[in-house]
Amino acid sequence: MSNEVTGLVGIICLFVLLVLRVPVAISMFIVGFTGIWLLNGTAAATGLLASESFTLATSPELVVVPLFILMGNVASITGMSRRLYDAAYAIIGSVRGGLASATVIGCGGFAALSGSSVASALTMGKVALGEMDRYKYDTRLSTGVVAAGGTLGILIPPSTGFVIFAILTEQSIGRLFLAGVFPGILLLGLFVIAITVICWFRPEYGPAGPKTSMGEKMRAIAGAGPIVGVILLTIGGIYGGFFSPVEASAVGAGMVILIGVFTGKLSFRDYWDATKDSVVTTATVMLILISAHMINPFMALSHIPTAVGEMITALELSATGVLILILAIYLVLGCFLEGFAMLVLTLPIFFPIILAMGIDPIWFGVLTVLTLEMGLISPPVGLNVFIVKSVAPNVELGTIFRGVLPFWLMMIVAVGILIAFPQIVLYLPNTMFN
Amino acid sequence: MYVLRTLADRLIGLSAFIGMVGLTVEMTVILIDVIGRALGHPLYGSHDLVTMTMSLIVFGGMALCDYKGGHVSVDLFERNFPPALNRVMDILSAIAGAVIFAGIAYYMYDYSKISVMLNRQTNLLDLPVAWYQWAIAALSVITALAMLLRAFELALLGEDVRKATEEQGL
Repeated sequence: MSNEVTGLVGIICLFVLLVLRVPVAISMFIVGFTGIWLLNGTAAATGLLASESFTLATSPELVVVPLFILMGNVASITGMSRRLYDAAYAIIGSVRGGLASATVIGCGGFAALSGSSVASALTMGKVALGEMDRYKYDTRLSTGVVAAGGTLGILIPPSTGFVIFAILTEQSIGRLFLAGVFPGILLLGLFVIAITVICWFRPEYGPAGPKTSMGEKMRAIAGAGPIVGVILLTIGGIYGGFFSPVEASAVGAGMVILIGVFTGKLSFRDYWDATKDSVVTTATVMLILISAHMINPFMALSHIPTAVGEMITALELSATGVLILILAIYLVLGCFLEGFAMLVLTLPIFFPIILAMGIDPIWFGVLTVLTLEMGLISPPVGLNVFIVKSVAPNVELGTIFRGVLPFWLMMIVAVGILIAFPQIVLYLPNTMFN
Repeated sequence: MYVLRTLADRLIGLSAFIGMVGLTVEMTVILIDVIGRALGHPLYGSHDLVTMTMSLIVFGGMALCDYKGGHVSVDLFERNFPPALNRVMDILSAIAGAVIFAGIAYYMYDYSKISVMLNRQTNLLDLPVAWYQWAIAALSVITALAMLLRAFELALLGEDVRKATEEQGL
């Protein structure tokens, strides 16, 4: 059996295991270990098992993962995310569709704390759905906006998606974080435009909320001040060169804990629960990463990436054509696979092609993560849609999927804009890191 | 089986506790380093402490992650499969996980012998690398045993600890 055939059989086995619900990390361990053992012998396979486990578990770049997760968990437990929403609500809640726009802005703010789309959708769903229901918002709009707004979590830094991409492709986490800032703001703006257009043509979808006085506005903004300060400090610290991403994650986590303690919102028990959740989430992420480092050498040994690269080259597409083709594949795969797993499974194949075509890896990273976001609200898997369903059990899944459609289209628009204008992605990282 | 479960729960709790303490230490060390650097006195060896503590966070959480059903799987076809197949796959997945963690433990211990032989130490604090490799091996053994027990419970009692929404005693 040639190396290529072994690789192909490995990929098929991997998909069979995934379909049979074997956890992604365990599936990749099985296929990766067996593949290396077949192609390179027992010593190589067992050696990698120990060395990759130790190398990744002591990787200085990955220290951001548990710390940013801790920051998001503490912010959620102490109700800081609620205060972000309250501020946005006080400012624009009284205009038509304003509550929905406030939800998107709240999601964007929470995304800058948590780095997780699921956490954003869950937290903002709990906060905002009840409010929008109270003001007779159409359930399609209210649930759609929470599911779609939650996806900002993986694009706006700090983003676990960018950390994973950076580790798998050996790119700079700091550059990727900065590259996500403008696309995140762009997408947030496009979501607000979508809400405005929907409520322009269908005013009954998002009736205006109550007017708030200037004093109420100022109080709400002041309430969100500390958490906005943390966001500015962490992201601004990286941007200004004061902190590395690792230091920013520790400073951010430390700040939200201090705010929680001084405002009396964080007990020791709460902190301990947040720490426990952070450790569990870190273990989930890290096991997949370690397993990915078992399957990557197997892919390389099998020459599958080279073969796929030759196939794509044979199509004689331009670099942009190749990029669009790969993103289209991600879009389709995203309907069936969990985004994180998809990233880990496909990057060993696609990334060498991207480099060979001379496509900027940071630009590709942002476009990839944005496309992964679309998978979070695409049927039939649509993880964020299920999260919203869990918060609003009386709403039909079909209603939520119909509700996210305008936002999904806006994400396509965002991908198009970013392909046409790579400077939006590259301006910040290039000015700061070059 | 009850005694085994109680013992396993305690070991899983201890393992997670190590990870949680590690996370707190890691955050504190970086904060002290950042503040110290601003004052002209960075914490000597903070990099060594942070990277090595990371190994405790990662492997400390593995057993609890399995206990809480935290490992990502593709549930797309779960409803289409007969319950018996789902159960068999749960058992086989748990056994495969146990074998993988047992393998990590065994080969990590093997790897640590090389570290001892070469007297490998961290760059600044001269902490023996083998200590952390032993810790990873021990935490992996706990994870492997916990997964094996879960497989036995699923096979013999039809019970899945992951179904419990709130873990007890952890």
